Amino acid sequence: MSRPAVDTEALTAADPPARRRLPRMSLAEYFSFAFLALLIAAVLFADAIPGLIGPNFPYGDFSQPPNWSLNGILGTDPLGRSVLSRIIHGARATLTIVCVATAISLCFGLLIGMLAGYYRGILERIVDLFANTVASLPPILVLLALITATGPSVITMTLTLGFLEIGTYARIAKGGVISQNDRDYVLAARALGASDLRILTREILPNLFPTLAALMPPLMAGLIITEGSLSFLGYGIAAPAPSWGGMVADSTDLLSRFPLLMLGPILAIVLTVYALNTVGDYLSRRVDTRDRQL
Amino acid sequence: MRSTRSRYLRAVALRLAAGIPVFILVTLGATALSDLMPGSAAQAILGDYATPEQIAALNAEYGYDQPVLVRYFDWLGGLFQGDLGQTLFSRQPVAELLLKRAAVTFQIALVAMVVSVLIGVPLAMITAARSGGWLDNTLRAITSVMLSIPTFVSVVVLGYLFSIVLRWLPATGWVSLFDDPLGNLYYVALPVMCLSVHQSAYFYRVSRSQFVATLQEDYVLVARAKGMSTTYIMLRHALRPSLPQVLTVFGLSLTFLLGGSFIVESYFAIPGIGWTILSAVKAHDLPVVQAILSLTVMIFVVVFMLVDLGYALIDPRVEVS
Repeated sequence: MSRPAVDTEALTAADPPARRRLPRMSLAEYFSFAFLALLIAAVLFADAIPGLIGPNFPYGDFSQPPNWSLNGILGTDPLGRSVLSRIIHGARATLTIVCVATAISLCFGLLIGMLAGYYRGILERIVDLFANTVASLPPILVLLALITATGPSVITMTLTLGFLEIGTYARIAKGGVISQNDRDYVLAARALGASDLRILTREILPNLFPTLAALMPPLMAGLIITEGSLSFLGYGIAAPAPSWGGMVADSTDLLSRFPLLMLGPILAIVLTVYALNTVGDYLSRRVDTRDRQL
Repeated sequence: MRSTRSRYLRAVALRLAAGIPVFILVTLGATALSDLMPGSAAQAILGDYATPEQIAALNAEYGYDQPVLVRYFDWLGGLFQGDLGQTLFSRQPVAELLLKRAAVTFQIALVAMVVSVLIGVPLAMITAARSGGWLDNTLRAITSVMLSIPTFVSVVVLGYLFSIVLRWLPATGWVSLFDDPLGNLYYVALPVMCLSVHQSAYFYRVSRSQFVATLQEDYVLVARAKGMSTTYIMLRHALRPSLPQVLTVFGLSLTFLLGGSFIVESYFAIPGIGWTILSAVKAHDLPVVQAILSLTVMIFVVVFMLVDLGYALIDPRVEVS
């Protein structure tokens, strides 16, 4: 039996420029990146947008359909407030909650997960138990149970969302460390006498980032949905402050007469979740391509 | 070679052993909820105008002044006798109330799951056979939008469409399956549709990628070389080896459906678990919340056990680890 011929051409071919190795973006992916960029810009500079009125200011007739003005482009709500302004300010609240929660779970998840993947043993068991326990309950049930005891509060919600996701990130980090641990570059670092701390933070950690970057957007989309559901039920962001879930709930009171009221908040939430999922898909395709070339 | 039956027993035992710590963690956490209440739990439940006698009476019955472990073992002892205490205000036995409500939620969740599998899996078989074709691309685009629709959006949109515009289905209410099967179908349709938007897309995605992977196996190539039709290959060669992977997401799907049922039940006023917990949250009804948390985690453990068992039934090679 002869061994398969080595494809010398492929081996000697010059490495193509890094950019060309990335998978091509589809139209939907371009759109998703653009939408997220626009959303983030709108959230960051909401107060600087010329002519945009405050989210709680009743500026016109109530429940108006969309018209061609900045504040009225998505219509007005049952109290005559600008839907666009409320969506942008609602996005600010939602994205703040989601980013803080993700930061919490990312920090603790990475720390615990990397240690568990590197040292295994009891720590690994704990991470698995924690992740299994959290996975056994819908997050909204945990939040509602806590609200029964402590009452609704945005801070409790943010911290709980962050806490619940720690297991997910820990599991990702653990799996990443286990798969990287036997690679040559880690063995080389170990042979050179690098400490465990150095191997974990300088060698392995940077190699976990692409996978984390691909898995983070869909997880953030999940948080947006959980926060939205809770606000929809009336236990999330409290009433006068704008929130997407609360706006959807408000629109249902007058649904038979003013169905267009639901348009703005529904578009905002579906587009954001779609964009995050699509960006996640693109990034994970990128990780796959990169892994195949290694 | 171990006998088949001992293999199944092992699967069940292993999964149960893994489920017990999860169960203990969740139920202990549920018992500890009252310790999170600001001030004394009894005071927080009864409000500012409660007399010391009322507070003492509540503490005597529910033990909110006892340490958490004492309460936990009390509760656990009651659980083995089928006694989960009484609801705080209407004084009904929690276990009885919950069983009635859970039946409603599980009927909806089960029907939604069956509908989603029946939509998702056959479509996946069709498109996986011609992956990259126009139908495949179209469905990929449609399902990514469907996966982005939260339940609280689908209830509002589908509720508007079917009960306000078309007037085909009722917007609120519930008829039990045992009282009136046909009437039940009428009330179950809208909630099931709302939950199936996300789930059918989810089952489609999972099974499509699994079918595509199975179709790359050598024995499929052999079957093709023998001149068998695509339909025959899909049904006789690809379906069974692809099923275990589809089966593994049933647990995840159930968690999603339970979470979704909170929204669906509160929006359409259906007396299920979700509706119960939402009224319990308003009333600070801790015994009910505690029981719902425990019930959910028990169901989760049992479903995962069944999934493992189904895994072993479909694929005899599987060694349960």
